[in-house]
Amino acid sequence: MAGETKNGMQCAEFDALLNEALDATLTGPKLESFQAHARVCAVCGPLFAEADAGRRWLKSLPEVDAPSHLVHNILLATTGYESQRVAVRPGAKASWVDAITGWLRPVFAPVLSMSRQPRFAMSFGMAFFSLSISLSLAGVKMSDVRHVDLRPNAIKRTYYETTGRVVKYYENIRFVYEIESRVREFKRVTAPPAPPPQEQNKEKKDNNTSGQPEPRQERNYSQGENQPVLASLPNDPPVVRMTTYRRLV
Amino acid sequence: MEDAQVVAMLVRRCIAGDVVAWEEIVQRYNRRIYNICYRFAGSGDDAQDLTQEVFIKMFRTLNSYDVERGAFMTWVTTITRNLLVDHFRKSKQDRMTESLDTTSSEHEDAMPLSEKIEDKAPAADTNVQSRETQELVHNALQKLSPELREAVILRDLQDMDYKDIATVLKVPEGTVKSRINRGRAELARLLQRTYRQVM
Repeated sequence: MAGETKNGMQCAEFDALLNEALDATLTGPKLESFQAHARVCAVCGPLFAEADAGRRWLKSLPEVDAPSHLVHNILLATTGYESQRVAVRPGAKASWVDAITGWLRPVFAPVLSMSRQPRFAMSFGMAFFSLSISLSLAGVKMSDVRHVDLRPNAIKRTYYETTGRVVKYYENIRFVYEIESRVREFKRVTAPPAPPPQEQNKEKKDNNTSGQPEPRQERNYSQGENQPVLASLPNDPPVVRMTTYRRLV
Repeated sequence: MEDAQVVAMLVRRCIAGDVVAWEEIVQRYNRRIYNICYRFAGSGDDAQDLTQEVFIKMFRTLNSYDVERGAFMTWVTTITRNLLVDHFRKSKQDRMTESLDTTSSEHEDAMPLSEKIEDKAPAADTNVQSRETQELVHNALQKLSPELREAVILRDLQDMDYKDIATVLKVPEGTVKSRINRGRAELARLLQRTYRQVM
């Protein structure tokens, strides 16, 4: 009974030490008293034997394997995603590819999870689109990349060629061309007037003693540099008469 | 890196929406939770449904887990245990212990059945290898009261320490020890009786 004292130990104390005894953590004089009490007490002795037997029965139960589709079902029920892993049976030897994948997974897992988010995919798509447009404008073709010459001279030449193409393309844009012509015109208007070139021309004429006629200049100086020169007809065009002679054969 | 730190990091990543971290948690704990459910509920189908429910609840309440307050495994086991108790109440399965200590006659001073039965069964560890024996133990476990069953499952099958079991069951450590001893003893008695019937 709980209050009885046998071999210096009460049944209540025995009951309290039962777990320690079964876990094999009870040592020294306490263990001796415990064992002596178990031998003598008609209640505590069988209790100890039964508890020990029950513990061994329970320990004999193996750990059961969860169904293979359980993880898949859980992931579908919680996140809606399917498992990215290959199911490996416990005890089965993993291949070296799986082992390397297992090591790398924790490193790349955050990046992969972020890349699955729509906003990242959108940003990546926009960046790729911009890059491809820039490359095509610069005249770079992906098919040419494999034939690229990596010698320093070739790289330098390619650089200058590409720069030239870009500048040419830029200058040929109508908008840029218009802006440039406006700027030039504005500069010319605002610049101080140059000294009249007549005296110099006169001197040149005086100096010309060769007797040869001067070459005619076809430029129309009254027009602006960037203004188009248009052909025009006078209001009263001269009458041209033509006579046709037929030749009779 | 320690296991607790790894788990804490996984939980943080999970809360941040990392699906891979959640999968890692599921892979780590599904077997353990399934085993607790299987040993408590008794059937594989129930265990599967309950395990899924545990993870769904865990997924929804992961924000409430506080690393400072205890181990993640204890928190997970508490969720599992609470769901198992709910399941037991819902199913209304009155599987109270068919204790052999209960007297077979109406007289209070009648001798308990366990004392009437002589223990002539072979030693426990010589028979436990067979599948039939494991089935007998598993079936006997289902006949224990839920209080005793959960205590012995957590201690003898899941190897949890008394302190963690007390946290999970929300009872004092002394009560846990007492329940474990009673559960073990009662299981042994049930099995001795079953063996006599079989043999």
